[in-house]
Amino acid sequence: MDAFGMGICAAAGALAFVAGASEDIDSDIGSQSNPNSQVQLAAQVGNPHRIYNKAIAGEPPSNALWCAVACLMAYVLIEGYHMPLLFAAVAGASLAALFDGVMSISAYLGRSASQARFNQWIYLDIIRYTTPSIMAHVWITSFCITLIAIIQVYVLTPHHPFPIPVIGLIWGITVGAIGSSVGDIHYGGEREFQWRLFGQGLNTMLSGQIVRKAEAGLRNSIDNAWFCAKFGGPCTGLGFGLTVFLDNWRTTVFDPVTQATYAIAMGCFFVLAMNLYNLYMEISARKKYGPYPGYKGDIAA
Amino acid sequence: MDQLKGFKLEPKQLRMYGIIGSVVGIYLTVGLNAMTGTKVFSFIGCIAALFAVLWGANSIRRICSYGLGTGVPAMGMLCTGMACVAAVFGLNIAGRFGFDWGGPIITLVYAMVFGYVVGTLCNKVMKFNIPIMEEGLMDGSGACTMAVLAWSVSLSGSLSYNEIIATVYNTGFLAVIFILGGMALFHPFNANLGPDEKQDRTLIDGMMVGGLAMFGLGICSIVTIGFAPAMLTIVVGFALWYYFFVWYFRLAKRDAAAVVGTGLLPPSAL
Repeated sequence: MDAFGMGICAAAGALAFVAGASEDIDSDIGSQSNPNSQVQLAAQVGNPHRIYNKAIAGEPPSNALWCAVACLMAYVLIEGYHMPLLFAAVAGASLAALFDGVMSISAYLGRSASQARFNQWIYLDIIRYTTPSIMAHVWITSFCITLIAIIQVYVLTPHHPFPIPVIGLIWGITVGAIGSSVGDIHYGGEREFQWRLFGQGLNTMLSGQIVRKAEAGLRNSIDNAWFCAKFGGPCTGLGFGLTVFLDNWRTTVFDPVTQATYAIAMGCFFVLAMNLYNLYMEISARKKYGPYPGYKGDIAA
Repeated sequence: MDQLKGFKLEPKQLRMYGIIGSVVGIYLTVGLNAMTGTKVFSFIGCIAALFAVLWGANSIRRICSYGLGTGVPAMGMLCTGMACVAAVFGLNIAGRFGFDWGGPIITLVYAMVFGYVVGTLCNKVMKFNIPIMEEGLMDGSGACTMAVLAWSVSLSGSLSYNEIIATVYNTGFLAVIFILGGMALFHPFNANLGPDEKQDRTLIDGMMVGGLAMFGLGICSIVTIGFAPAMLTIVVGFALWYYFFVWYFRLAKRDAAAVVGTGLLPPSAL
């Protein structure tokens, strides 16, 4: 273990934290991924809304696209013009944000237009003020991921053998998958259905009955970002940051060649400890909040 | 309301456009490049890919109309995955026989057979029971393969297996082709999903993403074919993207219940 290796490991963890958090908030502003089905259904069950409908695949493929595009720009600038690494990452992230803007607008226009019979209007002001926020978050995500890829390929020795667009693609899929599984619940389960009781679950009857009116006026997607930035986003960041940091940490502290057994044992320990902690969390939540008041036993499916 | 005339194309028509457009485009790119001894005509490869995108986007649209809501991106990724394998296979076989020029034809035939077999497996073994699965996946796989091949040719400027491996695979640009190609195929239907989806709007969305892909791959080609030819790809790509984006916006306006600058919910919903 050396100080430089540990510093790089910590930097990668910190970048991953920021990338995870911004990725989740970006998907929440656009109502992408899992919560999207409810936004899509809302108009169909008679609830037209003023919420952004950014249907660009799931989060893993779309983030893979932003990160791969950011990395391609960085790669061209670094390999073709020997530009400074940081500048290359900034330029790459900017290109990725532009790509995201185009795809987001096309998805909002397309999905809303395809629900014409349910009277779902297209609101141009939503495009004007929400798309830049989505793009800004995508900029942060792809900047952090590009920096991680650059660190792996150009800074760390031995250099990673893959070119950075491939690494960007893989990291993009990873951050999207973690954002989709961690942070979406906070938006889809809590924010869209904030009036239902804890423990009720999402009944089929409730499909599409999302919250459309805010404390004052109509709810918009920026309100959702404000809500999700408090818990869902940081949680996703923690999930992704810990994944990157702990995995790097065990191979930095223990030499992967001579002390491989320790590194593997440490990995097993992390998995075990986290599972036990999850179990504790679930049991304590069930004890504190108790069963749903209307619970009448399991219903056979 | 904007009275914009749309279009309706049959799957067979689109298949013809896709096959002829992409194959002719690829040969035109390579032929003109070889004749002039430059890489200036590489941008034609990206235009050839647009024909394939048109064909592929329609096939994804047809398969996924059978209620595969969340399966739309998966279907696109499946086709792009098959395409990446088929493109390498076709070029390699052609290279081994010393017949580089036959690469696109071998690739196309292999990809369509591959797609048909996967489609049969989905229907017969996995019991998807989607009537047009075989035909749809054959089209999807063929279209995506031709798009991937055309983009690869535009990045390398030639059909040689070794050159494509050096400029597309070793540089990692395949990752960009993979994900952008997949997006061009499945994003159109995914973004326009809904009961009032229209074929012309979906396909124009595909062309718009194809233009965007051309712009992105133009940036990639700066390091593979040089600055001047790459700038041509970037400029043409941007122009195509802009043209199709404006067209798409007008189609969305045509189809939407209403397009308003701002406002509350529709009176029926308040």
